[in-house]
Amino acid sequence: MTLFDGVKAAALIFVAAIAQVSVFSEAHVFGAVPDVLLVSLVAFALLRGSVSGAVGGFFAGILVDTASLGTLGLTSLVLTLAGYWIGRYGETTGRDRAHAPFLSVAVVTVLYQIGLLVVHFVLGESAPAGAVVRSLVPAIVLNLVLTAPLYALVRRLLRPVERDELTAEVQLLG
Amino acid sequence: MLASSVQRSKPTPYPSKARSALIRRAVVVLLVLVALTLITISFRSPTSGALHGLQGAGSTALRPFQIAATRVAQPFRDGYDYLSSLSSAKSENERLKREYRVVRAEAIANAAAQAKLAQVEKLLQFVQGSTFPKGYRAISTGVISPPSGPFTHTLTIEAGSSHGVRLNSPVVSDGGLVGIVTNVFPNTAKVTLLTDSYVWAVDPRTGVRGGVAPGPGGTLQLTEVSKQKVVHENDPLITAGTRSARYPDLYPYGIPIGRVSAPPGATDTAMYLQVQVQPFANLGSLEAVAVLVPKNPRR
Repeated sequence: MTLFDGVKAAALIFVAAIAQVSVFSEAHVFGAVPDVLLVSLVAFALLRGSVSGAVGGFFAGILVDTASLGTLGLTSLVLTLAGYWIGRYGETTGRDRAHAPFLSVAVVTVLYQIGLLVVHFVLGESAPAGAVVRSLVPAIVLNLVLTAPLYALVRRLLRPVERDELTAEVQLLG
Repeated sequence: MLASSVQRSKPTPYPSKARSALIRRAVVVLLVLVALTLITISFRSPTSGALHGLQGAGSTALRPFQIAATRVAQPFRDGYDYLSSLSSAKSENERLKREYRVVRAEAIANAAAQAKLAQVEKLLQFVQGSTFPKGYRAISTGVISPPSGPFTHTLTIEAGSSHGVRLNSPVVSDGGLVGIVTNVFPNTAKVTLLTDSYVWAVDPRTGVRGGVAPGPGGTLQLTEVSKQKVVHENDPLITAGTRSARYPDLYPYGIPIGRVSAPPGATDTAMYLQVQVQPFANLGSLEAVAVLVPKNPRR
């Protein structure tokens, strides 16, 4: 990843984080909130791999926690793991699969919500499991709606790297 | 040659891939550790410390971007709100109609209660006043069903025998005599109005006595007043009370009935004066009345 690529990625995550905290966090639809930041991070991680995904997730989490004055590092922890996992999926089995962004977004939406719930619970903060579970399906639907345009935008912004540039421990036969 | 052993080269471990895997894992572990450290510091000192100051500064720095994002999104948000309000206008209209019906019913109930309260207050003044008959106590009660038309001369009150109401008990309102109890049930009673009763009355100014009885067209008349007696317009009439101790009157002395509403007249052939009486009690809109029952039940 070049420096210019990194700047573009940082700008992308910065804009997504600000938009999420300022605008989309107030857009409640059927009890769920569309997560532009998560979808952008998934797209970025799929295109740039696990390390970039983890770093991007960490950076996005720091921005969210700072802007919302939350417990610093909490969102970073969950988004770092999410970015890393999606990056690994993109490097390996999800590579060049058309359904990869949608599958990733659907799975990560669930894991992200549960991850946040667990971390909040461990820290002794409010962890409304019932509300989170009820909002899961609408959240998945909303994020899936956002996936196609956001993935296309991110793909246009950050051109896919060559296959060899991505680290891959799994030998691809196809 | 064929029997000679061939040395196999050692398998090479793809050094670049192994190194990149190590770096990748190191990066993610490092980031997770940093995140955990941040959580720990932030959780242990949520309101003070260097990290708290740093977070505050960061938040301040991000604030302009957040405001800008909000302003950029405002037109879209307004548009969404407008469309959302349009889609929900019908259901909101129904909801508002339902609320309006409830509020209107409450307003009507409040107005009725207000009118009833005013009558109860006047009734209380009457009960505590000097004209209230001695030896009686008042059972204040509400009117369940007022006279429903010109042909109905009864009303139902929400007090009955369980409250102490007895048959033939006089009923008064804030203005004066209303009628008499003609049927008693445990929790309700029927009152026959003055317009369908016969009450022995007296003019306290002139001492003229007569019977107040229904006249033509639902009016009241003072009957059995000889032509030699003098009755003036606007003279008050009160119940005359008991004339014989052996036959006590149903109505105690002194309950205001009404006033002479027109100059008395008489035809040449008539034996008695024709005296029109206007009742003090507004018999058409009664909300609260008091039933007079004797303090001594033997009466």
